[in-house]
Amino acid sequence: MTHVILSNLTKSFPGNPVAAVNTMNLDIPSGQLVAFLGPSGCGKTTTLKMIAGLITPTVGDITFDGASVLAVPPEKRGAVMVFQNYLLFPYMSVGQNVGFGLKMRGVEPKVIDRKVIEMLDLVKLPNIANRRPRQLSGGQQQRVALARALITEPKVLLLDEPLSNLDAHLRDEMRELILSIQRNLGVTMIFVTHDQEEAVLLANQIALIFDGVLQQYAAPDVFYRQPISERAARFFGGINFVPATRRGERLETAFGAFHVRTPGVENAPEGEVTLTIRPEQVVLNPADDENCTSGRIRSRIYVGTYTRYKIMIGDIEIEATRSGDIDHALNEGDAVRVGFPADRIWVVGRS
Amino acid sequence: MIGERWRIPLMLAPTLIIIVVLFFGSLGYGFLQSLGWQPNIGNTTFSLDAYATVLFSPEYREQFWSGLWLTIWVSLASTFISAALALMSALLLRQTFIGKKIATFLFQLNLPVPHLVIAIGMIFLFSQSGLAARAAAQLGMISTPNEFPVMLRDAGGVGIILAYLWKEVPFFGIVLLAILQSVGEDYEDLARSLGANRWQRFRHVILPLVMPGLLSSSIIVFAFTFGTYEVPKLLGVRFPEMLPVMALEFFLNPDLNARAEGMALSMIIAAITLLIVVAYMWAGNRAVQR
Amino acid sequence: MTVRNRRPFFYLAVAVICILLVLPVITFMINAFAFRWFYPQFIPAEWSLQAWERLQLIPPEGERTLTNWLALLGSSDVIDALVVSLVIGVGVTLFSVVIGLPAARALGMHKFRGKRIVEFMILAPTIVPSIAFVLGLNINFIRWELSGSLFGVALVHLVPVMPYVVLTLSGVFANYNPDFEDQARTLGAGPLRTFWYVTLPAIFPGIVVAALFAFLVSWSQYLLTFLIGAGRVITLPILLFASASGGNNAVIAVMSLIFIAPAILTLLVTSRYLSGESGAVGGFGRI
Repeated sequence: MTHVILSNLTKSFPGNPVAAVNTMNLDIPSGQLVAFLGPSGCGKTTTLKMIAGLITPTVGDITFDGASVLAVPPEKRGAVMVFQNYLLFPYMSVGQNVGFGLKMRGVEPKVIDRKVIEMLDLVKLPNIANRRPRQLSGGQQQRVALARALITEPKVLLLDEPLSNLDAHLRDEMRELILSIQRNLGVTMIFVTHDQEEAVLLANQIALIFDGVLQQYAAPDVFYRQPISERAARFFGGINFVPATRRGERLETAFGAFHVRTPGVENAPEGEVTLTIRPEQVVLNPADDENCTSGRIRSRIYVGTYTRYKIMIGDIEIEATRSGDIDHALNEGDAVRVGFPADRIWVVGRS
Repeated sequence: MIGERWRIPLMLAPTLIIIVVLFFGSLGYGFLQSLGWQPNIGNTTFSLDAYATVLFSPEYREQFWSGLWLTIWVSLASTFISAALALMSALLLRQTFIGKKIATFLFQLNLPVPHLVIAIGMIFLFSQSGLAARAAAQLGMISTPNEFPVMLRDAGGVGIILAYLWKEVPFFGIVLLAILQSVGEDYEDLARSLGANRWQRFRHVILPLVMPGLLSSSIIVFAFTFGTYEVPKLLGVRFPEMLPVMALEFFLNPDLNARAEGMALSMIIAAITLLIVVAYMWAGNRAVQR
Repeated sequence: MTVRNRRPFFYLAVAVICILLVLPVITFMINAFAFRWFYPQFIPAEWSLQAWERLQLIPPEGERTLTNWLALLGSSDVIDALVVSLVIGVGVTLFSVVIGLPAARALGMHKFRGKRIVEFMILAPTIVPSIAFVLGLNINFIRWELSGSLFGVALVHLVPVMPYVVLTLSGVFANYNPDFEDQARTLGAGPLRTFWYVTLPAIFPGIVVAALFAFLVSWSQYLLTFLIGAGRVITLPILLFASASGGNNAVIAVMSLIFIAPAILTLLVTSRYLSGESGAVGGFGRI
């Protein structure tokens, strides 16, 4: 149970004028599961390694429960990393791997053996202590790596891309396991990922990082409803962007005026902005005429559980999705009414 | 079109003919000769006389056993000391620092330099009028060349070991650097975040990771230092004498009977090296199966 | 993490290691140009090219005309030995790569019965010392009248050379995708052009490394050349060894420099192909 605060955290590497991590401020309350999300090279792993103590920040501070840990070496910090490729020591048995941290602390072998069994039970891999790492599947190796980290009772658990090396069905299993461990032990967990799906699946809070700069720090659903920028929206799968001029509730676009009444929009930019709406929120042939315009269906793609429509409104393309079966009333080339619900529209600054 | 059946044997044939005829054939022929089979001087019977003479006769036994111990000592000492020094050097050189390229180049400079040349370099460096003695004299540590300790052509094989150190430290070093580079530092970072201090990281992470590579290159070094001729010939003494030098002297003896003894000696050298390799592979297999 | 270290101590340690290691080469450079370098002078008081002149590598002072330079070619033992060494080294390199290629391909890309035994046989010469087989070989080579000839010496050099050539190239073939060859064949390339345009470029770095080791191993052989050359094939190591046990230091140093220069040059030129991870690096233990 540790409250982690990053203040003005900055890291520049010699010979590189652009800071890898730039003045990052982040408050991670005790027992949270936070994702650092961003494309590769955005500085998320550097930040993680700074929290672990493996990289020294150029500027700024890191505190655990209010006390700075910058002077604490990694081996004493209690921030344990689980690497993406698991890194089980190939020359040790599974049990020796899990017990490694306690051995380093000089714990009695008997106690270590007992704790190792406890930990392997916790990650639901009983009776494999005597096996060699290479005899395990990827998913099993991941669990052993998790057990090896947890045995030291870390203050903060740091995970590098915890789900990305796993098959789809193993991802669900591992997700359940991580969430249940987090619930039971209440340990503060931070993980980095480049995959927004992985972040949304696991995290309570997501810190979106581009080019070493923190963009937005919020609960997962906020990134879908209220992205901070066009780039953030695109990162979460947004594709509809229309230039607009905003005055209060009113949005002027090339194909007509719309009202916007989404909660929180009062803090969004005014003037020259970009209107955005998620494809699943676009309504085709709506019942009432508010916030409505006309277009023509350019293509219809059936994807099984839903159908994707590309609609031309003037020379702007808008994508809309509809769940359920194909609607044979909407065909390629047909004219269609397109509704943007006033409480689903969002605006971001013009980029 | 050549049949599938013969394709692989044909691909292997040229290399295998060279190895089988020149290497195994000669080894076998040498073995027969060591058993006293020398048709050109009329000996066509087999006996173990040559081995008995080398190992137990009052004439040669002292020379042989003292030579054997010296050879084992020199090979073991050269292998262990150079492996240890190379590990230290590799841990330094893998770091990032200004001038790393130059340092790595200088470190590897001796790799293509033949053992023979390094042995000569040792004479220039460590003889009683060599560079080291001159440095000692300039510093006022000795006043005449005779006061400089005898390091070359000494009974303990110090000069021979020194030459091997100069050659094998870079050799072990390049092997270790390659391993350390391919392993990366993640294992150490991980161990560190699990609470391992500097010594523990060396003992429980680096050492086990480099051990397989270190052992297999140790075998190469041990076998080479055990059987090579030029270095002990230039830097060794007549008594005790390293086995390869002794073997060649027997062989070049105008008395054709001594030839069998030279052959026997070379067979003993081959047998000991093979024994060491087999023991290593057996130990390695056990370690894998564990 | 390892970037954080005690800098002055670290640089001192690296400097000591590197300087100690290159000291032999440095002494050759000093000795080669030293003149009357009496004990206990640390640095020679007088320098000269006397040893180079004595070995007829450069004409005496005042007579350095083009004709005299050219005249050295026929009269210098060192240049003769250098040529012999080069001829043997290059011949061994070419031949070993040509016959090693198919063997390496078989070992690197195919599974067959007895593969382990073949591998063991090819690797055996890397472990068993030369002295163990060359004595028996010597007698037979005399009988077959190969003793004392360039060809005989080159032939026997193949024994320590072949394992490294095959080892290096089979490592390359193990990571080689033969589908590229089939692709080339379906696009209309014949077997020869497939080899030239597809196979060769793919394995070229491996061939460079194999050739490097083949050359260096052959270049540095003393014992095999001594016994099989029977005093009639004089390579650089033979010449150097003969004068090493009791000659003029300056002369020995000059010969040593000439002996190691091509080796270091070969390494420099090919070092970018040398990753250090291939099993072939074991060849350095044999030089």
